Amino acid sequence: MRKIPWVIMCLLPFIASGQIVIDKPLSPRLTGYDMNVTLDPDAHTVSGQMTAWWVNHSSMPVGEAMMHMYLNAFCSNKTTFAKGRWSAAGDDGWGWVKINSIFDGSGNDLIDSMGFVSPDDGNEHDKTVLRLALPSPVAPGDTLVLVIDFTSKLPSPIQRTGYEGDFHFVAQWFPKFGVYETAGMRQREADGWNCHQFHPNSEFYANHSVYNVSVTLPSEYVTGSGGMLIEETDLGEGMKRVIWRAEDIVDFAWTAWPGYKVLTDRWKGVDITFLTSEPALKKADSQFQAVKYALEYLEERVGPYPWPHLTFVDPPMSGTGAGGMEYTTLFTSMGGGMVPSFMKMPEMVTIHEFGHAYFMGILASNEFEEPWLDEGINSYWEQRIVDHYYGKGYGLLKLPFIRLSDTDQGRMTYITSPSRGIATNDLPSWMYPHGTYSMMSYSKAATWLHTLKGIIGTETMDNVFREYYRRWAFRHPSGKDFIAVVNDVVRSEHGDRFGEDMNWFFDQVLYGSGICDYRVSGITSNKIRSYSGVVDGDSVTYTRSDRRSDTLYISRVSIERLGDVKLPVEILIGFDNGEEVLEQWDGKELYRDFEYTGARKPVWAKIDPDNRIDMDVNRINNSWTYEPDRTAARRMMNKFILLMQMMISIFTI
Amino acid sequence: MSFFKTLKNGATVTASSYKLILVIWISMLVLTLAAGYPLKAFMNSIFGKSMITERLNDGFDIALAGEIGKPFGALVTSVTAGTVLVGTAGFILMVFFAGGLFRRFTLAEGRLKVSEFLKASATSFMPFLWITLLMMLIIAGYTLLVIGVPALVMVLVSGSKMPSGNGIYIFYVIWALGMPLWLFVADASRRWMAATGSRQVFRAIGAAFRALRERFWLNYGIVFAVVVLNLLLVLAILWFAAFATPDKGIMVFLFFIATQALVVVRLMMKAWRYAVVCEAVQQQRGEAIP
Ligand SMILES: [Zn+2]
Repeated sequence: MRKIPWVIMCLLPFIASGQIVIDKPLSPRLTGYDMNVTLDPDAHTVSGQMTAWWVNHSSMPVGEAMMHMYLNAFCSNKTTFAKGRWSAAGDDGWGWVKINSIFDGSGNDLIDSMGFVSPDDGNEHDKTVLRLALPSPVAPGDTLVLVIDFTSKLPSPIQRTGYEGDFHFVAQWFPKFGVYETAGMRQREADGWNCHQFHPNSEFYANHSVYNVSVTLPSEYVTGSGGMLIEETDLGEGMKRVIWRAEDIVDFAWTAWPGYKVLTDRWKGVDITFLTSEPALKKADSQFQAVKYALEYLEERVGPYPWPHLTFVDPPMSGTGAGGMEYTTLFTSMGGGMVPSFMKMPEMVTIHEFGHAYFMGILASNEFEEPWLDEGINSYWEQRIVDHYYGKGYGLLKLPFIRLSDTDQGRMTYITSPSRGIATNDLPSWMYPHGTYSMMSYSKAATWLHTLKGIIGTETMDNVFREYYRRWAFRHPSGKDFIAVVNDVVRSEHGDRFGEDMNWFFDQVLYGSGICDYRVSGITSNKIRSYSGVVDGDSVTYTRSDRRSDTLYISRVSIERLGDVKLPVEILIGFDNGEEVLEQWDGKELYRDFEYTGARKPVWAKIDPDNRIDMDVNRINNSWTYEPDRTAARRMMNKFILLMQMMISIFTI
Repeated sequence: MSFFKTLKNGATVTASSYKLILVIWISMLVLTLAAGYPLKAFMNSIFGKSMITERLNDGFDIALAGEIGKPFGALVTSVTAGTVLVGTAGFILMVFFAGGLFRRFTLAEGRLKVSEFLKASATSFMPFLWITLLMMLIIAGYTLLVIGVPALVMVLVSGSKMPSGNGIYIFYVIWALGMPLWLFVADASRRWMAATGSRQVFRAIGAAFRALRERFWLNYGIVFAVVVLNLLLVLAILWFAAFATPDKGIMVFLFFIATQALVVVRLMMKAWRYAVVCEAVQQQRGEAIP
């Protein structure tokens, strides 16, 4: 679109390069949205005008535009999103987004150029991807401007977005550009739009954008958003207008509910706003602390959090469907009012959702196609943060008699899943079979990231992420791009200690579906006897005195590989004289015997004594001893008996 | 008869019945061992020669459940089933022995031999079972009325899914304050049966209510005091069991001895409540047998 009306021509520089939130642009800002909308809390609609723009950064003219119409996922029970898993609560519960009018920057009416497509599954009932045939192609370097009048109806029950009574969480709510990818970007062969349908399990993918959002709504509503509050004006007659601006974020969501309690805090240069409900107020300090822990940990080990603002929400009971979701500078936690303080579930969710500001907020990977890149990596960091700050390695739950680390919680999901070996870990989110999406993209991926840390060391792992941030912040990395960073950093810090590159690792854990299981099959020790037998027809015997001098043993510690995944392992072997020997094994053969000759005998052996190989699905068989410690079983039996005795004595009056 | 004298006389009678309490304790221990022992055997077979049990030494690491995998589900199922079974058997056992204990506490003087104790238990078992079940039903109804109904009303009024706010705690307190009355009735009615040899459940409860009314505040006070002491003891025992993590063989053995000693104390304390109620009723009648 060459001809842009002068009004918009004047506005564009302000929109594109105006610095209100951040000193200088963090991203190329290829898209932007100016919105002026009104919330009707009774009809649960958001309607108004939007000016959206997209810069053609490719070297070829582009003749079409693709936009996400996410809210249409809720328009019937036949959409790809809703099929068999979501249905409206009553006739008022359906959600949709409707374009009432659409013009390009030259004033061309595009309403008849619109059409819905279903690139992923061909579902004719799905209207979540809009294709716009442009009257003339957008030349390289030019900007496509669309002036859209739209109405969004929020769905109920809430699924990330929607309403419940007067609680409104407004997300995935406006027509939004897909990502125009150029050849080479994310290993792509040719230029083109990347714009997937809204699937039940998939999340999102977008350019870093600038948002100017003005919302008019009843004055009693308390609001929050991913933007910085520019002004809040009383319009009289019980209405007010709120204006936000956000820069360099991939999605803009906001919420409005009369019952919110608003609290604020500050960490270094970041203003933190917390929207919560009355029953969850008691968790506010702890929630703020969780955010600060995450900020501190990720700034130190990955890179700076660049925005001066951050808002998070603990939705009320009625809005739990909006909980546990991320919109970079806005995220939602959950359960603050319900969980006792010795369990860190709400803090864990807060840390996780905040972490997404990095993993897909700053490092804007494609969540549709490579969900492990955000959920897996983000779970890995969440687990490190939770276990670092709460309860000495047992972050999720730590009581004197019971405990659980967040890392183990994630790992358990993977190792106990019967379907853990049925798919590789690089699938698009909607392609995971048998309900393995979250187990695979969160738990398995986090588990092998911990394993990678175990192999290359924490310091190198942190440097991998520092470099990943340095190279890819405010761009769109792929899994292959991440692996390239790993290979470069590992090579520069360890040479070829782990081989030419680390592809052997990713080929197994990411692009493979095998499981990892090593075991100690046993320890044998035999006395070395003096020569005895028949040699050349003469029998050879040893005397009583020889026998007394038989004091040496030949011993064998037998290790086996039961799974397909081959990882280097350490084996710690303890001897009867108290000595310990640490052996290394590349783990490639099906078994390995370690033999010792001498007066000492091995009495126990432990594979992976420091628990670095989290991928090992069974750690019970990782160790073997002649004298297993039964005290724990006895103690637990004693406690169990006592508990039953007390129960009987209490319940019989 | 003063408050403290009643408590003291009850304690004396209970202490002199220590042999009977030990019989109850032994039966209970054998019963619970029947469920506890397979648990231990199961754990030993799961862990085999592994050294992973080190991770149980600072309390139970839930991650081990993941390590155990599928068999853990089987363990939970069988432990649950075992608990229900042993709980039921234990309930019957306690009802059974209550018969003997009340017989003992209604005797004006002298002791009950263990064989007489068992015989008395057996004779009164059925009516005691009925009266216990009936009293438990009454207490369940009382709980529903005092806590359930207000909670329901609060939910309906506030429109939320859970009774919120501190209002509901008031009803917990009211419930707790009322409980000694029901326990007195339960004990006094069983005393009446033991003393009269009657098997009429409703007459027993009627007699108990009459006894309660006669010197209400004393009756209430003694049961309240004994129940509070029992409650403190139970909490202390559970606290001790939850937090103690002996990790050496000998320490585990000592832990076993200590916990079982506490169980005996708890059984004594509970028998004390029976004895105190019997004392109170018998004193107000001025005789042992009405
Ligand atoms: Zn996530």
